[in-house]
Amino acid sequence: MENLIVEGSHGVYFVPYVNFNAETGECELAGESYLEDTVLFYNPLLEWLDNYINKKREAIKFNIKLTYFNTSSSRCLLDILNMLKDFEDEGGEVAVNWYYDEEDIDMQEEIEDYEIDTGLHINLIPSTDLVKHQEDDDDE
Amino acid sequence: MEANNLEKKAQDTNKFDLFKYHSLFNQNVQISYKGPFDSKVLSVLGTYIQFTIGKNPKASKKIFNIFIELAQNIAHYSAEKNLFGVEEGVGSLVIAEYPEHYAFSTGNIVKNEDVIVIIEKIELINSLDREQLREYKRVQRNLPQREKGNANIGLIQVALTSANPLDIEVTLIDDKYSFFAITVKVDK
Repeated sequence: MENLIVEGSHGVYFVPYVNFNAETGECELAGESYLEDTVLFYNPLLEWLDNYINKKREAIKFNIKLTYFNTSSSRCLLDILNMLKDFEDEGGEVAVNWYYDEEDIDMQEEIEDYEIDTGLHINLIPSTDLVKHQEDDDDE
Repeated sequence: MEANNLEKKAQDTNKFDLFKYHSLFNQNVQISYKGPFDSKVLSVLGTYIQFTIGKNPKASKKIFNIFIELAQNIAHYSAEKNLFGVEEGVGSLVIAEYPEHYAFSTGNIVKNEDVIVIIEKIELINSLDREQLREYKRVQRNLPQREKGNANIGLIQVALTSANPLDIEVTLIDDKYSFFAITVKVDK
Protein backbone atom coordinates (compact mmCIF):
# COMPACT_ATOMS: atom_id res chain seq x y z
CA MET A 1 0.00 0.00 0.00
CA GLU A 2 1.36 3.40 -0.97
CA ASN A 3 1.61 6.60 0.99
CA LEU A 4 -0.79 9.39 0.08
CA ILE A 5 0.87 12.79 -0.17
CA VAL A 6 -0.62 16.06 -1.39
CA GLU A 7 1.46 19.21 -1.30
CA GLY A 8 -0.74 21.99 -0.03
CA SER A 9 -1.17 25.24 -1.90
CA HIS A 10 -2.64 28.64 -1.17
CA GLY A 11 -3.90 30.12 -4.41
CA VAL A 12 -7.37 30.90 -5.68
CA TYR A 13 -8.38 27.87 -3.63
CA PHE A 14 -6.65 26.48 -0.53
CA VAL A 15 -5.45 22.91 -0.84
CA PRO A 16 -4.51 21.30 2.48
CA TYR A 17 -1.27 19.40 3.02
CA VAL A 18 -1.89 15.66 3.21
CA ASN A 19 0.58 12.99 4.34
CA PHE A 20 -0.90 9.54 4.99
CA ASN A 21 1.83 7.01 5.79
CA ALA A 22 0.97 3.41 4.99
CA GLU A 23 4.00 2.05 6.89
CA THR A 24 3.41 3.77 10.21
CA GLY A 25 -0.34 4.47 10.04
CA GLU A 26 0.43 8.09 10.88
CA CYS A 27 -1.75 10.51 8.91
CA GLU A 28 -1.52 14.27 8.79
CA LEU A 29 -3.95 16.84 7.42
CA ALA A 30 -2.73 20.42 7.75
CA GLY A 31 -3.10 23.97 6.50
CA GLU A 32 -6.29 25.38 5.02
CA SER A 33 -9.11 23.63 3.20
CA TYR A 34 -11.24 25.53 0.71
CA LEU A 35 -11.52 23.68 -2.57
CA GLU A 36 -13.08 24.02 -5.98
CA ASP A 37 -14.57 20.54 -5.69
CA THR A 38 -14.43 19.42 -2.08
CA VAL A 39 -15.80 15.92 -2.59
CA LEU A 40 -13.42 15.24 -5.49
CA PHE A 41 -10.49 16.19 -3.24
CA TYR A 42 -11.55 14.23 -0.17
CA ASN A 43 -12.72 11.03 -1.90
CA PRO A 44 -9.16 9.68 -2.43
CA LEU A 45 -8.40 10.38 1.25
CA LEU A 46 -11.46 8.39 2.31
CA GLU A 47 -10.58 5.60 -0.14
CA TRP A 48 -7.02 5.45 1.23
CA LEU A 49 -8.31 5.18 4.80
CA ASP A 50 -10.88 2.58 3.81
CA ASN A 51 -8.11 0.52 2.17
CA TYR A 52 -5.81 0.88 5.15
CA ILE A 53 -8.57 -0.08 7.56
CA ASN A 54 -9.71 -3.10 5.57
CA LYS A 55 -6.34 -4.39 4.36
CA LYS A 56 -3.77 -3.46 6.99
CA ARG A 57 -6.01 -3.21 10.02
CA GLU A 58 -3.18 -1.64 12.03
CA ALA A 59 -3.18 1.35 14.38
CA ILE A 60 -3.96 4.80 12.97
CA LYS A 61 -2.68 8.03 14.43
CA PHE A 62 -4.57 10.87 12.77
CA ASN A 63 -3.11 14.35 13.24
CA ILE A 64 -5.17 17.36 12.21
CA LYS A 65 -3.45 20.74 11.98
CA LEU A 66 -5.99 22.67 9.97
CA THR A 67 -6.15 26.39 10.62
CA TYR A 68 -9.12 26.99 8.34
CA PHE A 69 -11.76 24.91 6.57
CA ASN A 70 -15.02 25.96 4.97
CA THR A 71 -18.33 24.25 5.76
CA SER A 72 -18.11 22.14 2.65
CA SER A 73 -14.76 20.73 3.86
CA SER A 74 -16.19 20.32 7.36
CA ARG A 75 -18.62 17.71 6.06
CA CYS A 76 -15.79 15.69 4.49
CA LEU A 77 -13.85 15.88 7.76
CA LEU A 78 -16.92 14.43 9.45
CA ASP A 79 -16.84 11.53 6.96
CA ILE A 80 -13.19 10.87 7.83
CA LEU A 81 -13.82 10.95 11.58
CA ASN A 82 -16.89 8.71 11.23
CA MET A 83 -14.77 6.20 9.33
CA LEU A 84 -12.15 6.27 12.10
CA LYS A 85 -14.88 5.81 14.72
CA ASP A 86 -16.28 2.78 12.87
CA PHE A 87 -12.78 1.28 12.78
CA GLU A 88 -12.39 1.86 16.50
CA ASP A 89 -15.78 0.27 17.18
CA GLU A 90 -14.60 -2.81 15.29
CA GLY A 91 -11.56 -3.07 17.55
CA GLY A 92 -9.10 -0.88 15.61
CA GLU A 93 -6.59 1.26 17.46
CA VAL A 94 -7.29 4.92 16.70
CA ALA A 95 -5.78 8.12 18.10
CA VAL A 96 -6.93 11.51 16.84
CA ASN A 97 -4.81 14.53 17.73
CA TRP A 98 -6.14 17.95 16.80
CA TYR A 99 -3.59 20.77 16.98
CA TYR A 100 -5.21 24.16 17.29
CA ASP A 101 -4.48 27.78 18.10
CA GLU A 102 -5.48 28.35 21.71
CA GLU A 103 -6.89 31.76 20.88
CA ASP A 104 -9.19 30.34 18.22
CA ILE A 105 -12.37 29.77 20.25
CA ASP A 106 -14.43 28.99 17.14
CA MET A 107 -12.05 26.15 16.27
CA GLN A 108 -12.30 24.70 19.80
CA GLU A 109 -16.09 24.64 19.49
CA GLU A 110 -15.79 23.03 16.10
CA ILE A 111 -13.62 20.22 17.50
CA GLU A 112 -16.04 19.71 20.42
CA ASP A 113 -18.89 19.44 17.91
CA TYR A 114 -16.99 16.70 16.07
CA GLU A 115 -16.51 14.81 19.33
CA ILE A 116 -20.22 15.04 20.14
CA ASP A 117 -21.16 14.15 16.58
CA THR A 118 -18.91 11.11 16.16
CA GLY A 119 -18.46 9.86 19.72
CA LEU A 120 -14.75 9.71 18.96
CA HIS A 121 -12.30 10.94 21.55
CA ILE A 122 -10.20 13.79 20.13
CA ASN A 123 -7.03 14.92 21.89
CA LEU A 124 -6.99 18.70 21.82
CA ILE A 125 -3.42 19.91 21.56
CA PRO A 126 -2.92 23.67 21.96
CA SER A 127 -0.24 24.87 19.61
CA THR A 128 1.17 28.34 19.29
CA ASP A 129 3.17 27.67 16.17
CA LEU A 130 0.98 25.92 13.67
CA VAL A 131 3.34 25.59 10.75
CA LYS A 132 2.23 26.99 7.47
CA HIS A 133 2.18 23.96 5.22
CA GLN A 134 1.08 25.63 2.05
CA GLU A 135 3.12 27.42 -0.54
CA ASP A 136 1.71 30.71 -1.78
CA ASP A 137 0.70 30.11 -5.33
CA ASP A 138 0.25 33.38 -7.14
CA ASP A 139 0.14 31.88 -10.60
CA GLU A 140 -2.95 29.83 -10.12
CA MET B 1 -21.92 73.46 -16.04
CA GLU B 2 -25.46 73.32 -14.75
CA ALA B 3 -26.78 70.15 -13.18
CA ASN B 4 -29.37 69.50 -15.84
CA ASN B 5 -26.72 69.89 -18.52
CA LEU B 6 -24.65 67.28 -16.77
CA GLU B 7 -27.61 65.00 -16.61
CA LYS B 8 -28.27 65.55 -20.29
CA LYS B 9 -24.66 64.81 -21.10
CA ALA B 10 -24.79 61.58 -19.12
CA GLN B 11 -27.89 60.54 -21.03
CA ASP B 12 -26.35 61.50 -24.36
CA THR B 13 -23.24 59.42 -23.93
CA ASN B 14 -24.96 56.59 -22.11
CA LYS B 15 -22.34 56.92 -19.42
CA PHE B 16 -22.58 55.36 -16.01
CA ASP B 17 -22.78 58.02 -13.30
CA LEU B 18 -19.72 57.06 -11.30
CA PHE B 19 -19.93 60.13 -9.06
CA LYS B 20 -23.43 59.18 -7.98
CA TYR B 21 -22.18 55.63 -7.30
CA HIS B 22 -19.13 56.87 -5.42
CA SER B 23 -21.22 59.23 -3.30
CA LEU B 24 -23.35 56.33 -2.06
CA PHE B 25 -20.51 55.20 0.17
CA ASN B 26 -19.67 56.92 3.42
CA GLN B 27 -16.29 56.81 5.05
CA ASN B 28 -17.15 53.64 7.01
CA VAL B 29 -17.17 51.58 3.85
CA GLN B 30 -13.85 49.81 3.34
CA ILE B 31 -14.69 47.64 0.37
CA SER B 32 -17.56 47.51 -2.06
CA TYR B 33 -17.95 45.23 -4.99
CA LYS B 34 -20.67 44.44 -7.47
CA GLY B 35 -20.19 41.81 -10.10
CA PRO B 36 -19.66 38.12 -10.72
CA PHE B 37 -18.61 36.11 -7.66
CA ASP B 38 -16.13 33.97 -9.53
CA SER B 39 -13.18 32.27 -7.87
CA LYS B 40 -10.54 34.79 -8.97
CA VAL B 41 -12.48 37.81 -7.72
CA LEU B 42 -13.18 35.99 -4.45
CA SER B 43 -9.48 35.23 -4.14
CA VAL B 44 -8.54 38.91 -4.40
CA LEU B 45 -11.22 40.02 -1.96
CA GLY B 46 -10.37 37.16 0.41
CA THR B 47 -6.69 38.07 0.39
CA TYR B 48 -7.55 41.69 1.14
CA ILE B 49 -9.71 40.61 4.06
CA GLN B 50 -7.03 38.25 5.42
CA PHE B 51 -4.18 40.72 5.22
CA THR B 52 -5.61 44.21 5.40
CA ILE B 53 -8.27 43.77 8.03
CA GLY B 54 -5.53 41.57 9.53
CA LYS B 55 -4.60 44.49 11.80
CA ASN B 56 -7.26 42.79 13.91
CA PRO B 57 -6.49 39.06 13.44
CA LYS B 58 -9.50 37.77 15.38
CA ALA B 59 -12.03 39.87 13.44
CA SER B 60 -10.15 39.25 10.21
CA LYS B 61 -10.41 35.48 10.58
CA LYS B 62 -14.11 35.70 11.39
CA ILE B 63 -14.84 38.02 8.47
CA PHE B 64 -12.90 35.73 6.14
CA ASN B 65 -14.90 32.68 7.29
CA ILE B 66 -18.18 34.57 6.83
CA PHE B 67 -17.04 35.94 3.49
CA ILE B 68 -16.31 32.49 2.05
CA GLU B 69 -19.69 31.05 3.05
CA LEU B 70 -21.79 34.00 1.86
CA ALA B 71 -19.76 34.48 -1.32
CA GLN B 72 -20.13 30.82 -2.23
CA ASN B 73 -23.88 31.11 -1.72
CA ILE B 74 -23.95 33.96 -4.23
CA ALA B 75 -21.64 32.17 -6.68
CA HIS B 76 -23.87 29.08 -6.62
CA TYR B 77 -27.35 30.38 -6.01
CA SER B 78 -27.73 33.97 -7.24
CA ALA B 79 -30.57 34.11 -9.76
CA GLU B 80 -28.51 36.65 -11.72
CA LYS B 81 -25.65 35.46 -13.92
CA ASN B 82 -23.18 37.82 -15.54
CA LEU B 83 -23.20 38.69 -19.23
CA PHE B 84 -19.62 37.68 -19.96
CA GLY B 85 -20.45 34.02 -20.15
CA VAL B 86 -19.18 33.01 -16.72
CA GLU B 87 -21.63 30.76 -14.93
CA GLU B 88 -21.04 32.24 -11.49
CA GLY B 89 -23.72 34.30 -9.84
CA VAL B 90 -23.71 38.08 -9.61
CA GLY B 91 -24.03 39.91 -6.32
CA SER B 92 -22.89 42.81 -4.18
CA LEU B 93 -20.63 42.99 -1.17
CA VAL B 94 -19.83 45.76 1.29
CA ILE B 95 -17.51 45.73 4.29
CA ALA B 96 -17.90 48.70 6.63
CA GLU B 97 -15.95 49.49 9.76
CA TYR B 98 -17.43 51.10 12.88
CA PRO B 99 -15.80 51.88 16.24
CA GLU B 100 -17.03 48.65 17.89
CA HIS B 101 -17.60 46.29 14.99
CA TYR B 102 -17.35 45.45 11.32
CA ALA B 103 -20.50 45.08 9.25
CA PHE B 104 -20.26 42.61 6.42
CA SER B 105 -23.10 42.70 3.87
CA THR B 106 -23.84 40.72 0.75
CA GLY B 107 -26.82 40.87 -1.55
CA ASN B 108 -28.09 39.13 -4.62
CA ILE B 109 -31.19 38.55 -6.69
CA VAL B 110 -33.29 35.55 -5.74
CA LYS B 111 -36.44 34.04 -7.20
CA ASN B 112 -39.54 35.04 -5.24
CA GLU B 113 -40.45 31.38 -4.77
CA ASP B 114 -37.19 30.86 -2.83
CA VAL B 115 -37.58 33.87 -0.53
CA ILE B 116 -39.85 32.30 2.11
CA VAL B 117 -37.51 29.35 2.64
CA ILE B 118 -34.52 31.65 3.21
CA ILE B 119 -36.44 33.95 5.57
CA GLU B 120 -37.75 30.99 7.58
CA LYS B 121 -34.28 29.50 7.85
CA ILE B 122 -32.79 32.78 9.07
CA GLU B 123 -35.63 33.39 11.53
CA LEU B 124 -35.03 29.91 12.94
CA ILE B 125 -31.28 30.58 13.22
CA ASN B 126 -31.90 33.89 15.00
CA SER B 127 -34.32 32.26 17.46
CA LEU B 128 -31.75 29.73 18.71
CA ASP B 129 -29.18 30.28 21.43
CA ARG B 130 -25.58 29.25 20.79
CA GLU B 131 -25.89 25.67 22.09
CA GLN B 132 -29.10 25.09 20.14
CA LEU B 133 -27.46 26.53 17.04
CA ARG B 134 -24.50 24.17 17.39
CA GLU B 135 -26.89 21.25 17.70
CA TYR B 136 -28.85 22.42 14.64
CA LYS B 137 -25.58 22.57 12.73
CA ARG B 138 -24.63 19.03 13.75
CA VAL B 139 -28.04 17.70 12.66
CA GLN B 140 -27.90 19.53 9.31
CA ARG B 141 -24.32 18.42 8.67
CA ASN B 142 -25.41 14.80 8.97
CA LEU B 143 -28.07 15.15 6.28
CA PRO B 144 -27.22 14.06 2.71
CA GLN B 145 -25.25 16.71 0.86
CA ARG B 146 -26.73 18.91 -1.82
CA GLU B 147 -25.06 18.75 -5.21
CA LYS B 148 -23.17 22.04 -5.11
CA GLY B 149 -23.90 22.45 -1.47
CA ASN B 150 -22.11 23.90 1.45
CA ALA B 151 -23.37 21.02 3.59
CA ASN B 152 -26.55 23.04 4.27
CA ILE B 153 -24.76 24.72 7.12
CA GLY B 154 -23.24 27.83 5.55
CA LEU B 155 -25.72 30.27 7.13
CA ILE B 156 -25.64 28.46 10.47
CA GLN B 157 -21.85 28.69 10.49
CA VAL B 158 -22.06 32.39 9.58
CA ALA B 159 -24.33 32.98 12.60
CA LEU B 160 -21.99 31.01 14.89
CA THR B 161 -18.90 32.82 13.63
CA SER B 162 -20.52 36.24 13.89
CA ALA B 163 -22.05 35.53 17.33
CA ASN B 164 -24.67 38.15 16.44
CA PRO B 165 -28.16 37.86 14.90
CA LEU B 166 -28.32 37.79 11.11
CA ASP B 167 -29.95 40.92 9.72
CA ILE B 168 -31.81 40.41 6.46
CA GLU B 169 -33.73 42.67 4.14
CA VAL B 170 -35.75 41.50 1.16
CA THR B 171 -36.86 43.96 -1.52
CA LEU B 172 -39.44 42.89 -4.07
CA ILE B 173 -38.27 43.72 -7.60
CA ASP B 174 -41.12 42.33 -9.71
CA ASP B 175 -43.43 39.32 -9.83
CA LYS B 176 -40.48 36.98 -10.39
CA TYR B 177 -37.52 38.32 -8.46
CA SER B 178 -36.49 39.96 -5.19
CA PHE B 179 -33.24 41.37 -3.87
CA PHE B 180 -31.97 39.57 -0.80
CA ALA B 181 -29.49 41.37 1.48
CA ILE B 182 -27.85 39.98 4.59
CA THR B 183 -25.73 41.94 7.07
CA VAL B 184 -23.54 40.24 9.61
CA LYS B 185 -21.84 42.01 12.51
CA VAL B 186 -18.41 41.03 13.73
CA ASP B 187 -17.39 42.58 17.03
CA LYS B 188 -13.91 44.01 17.29
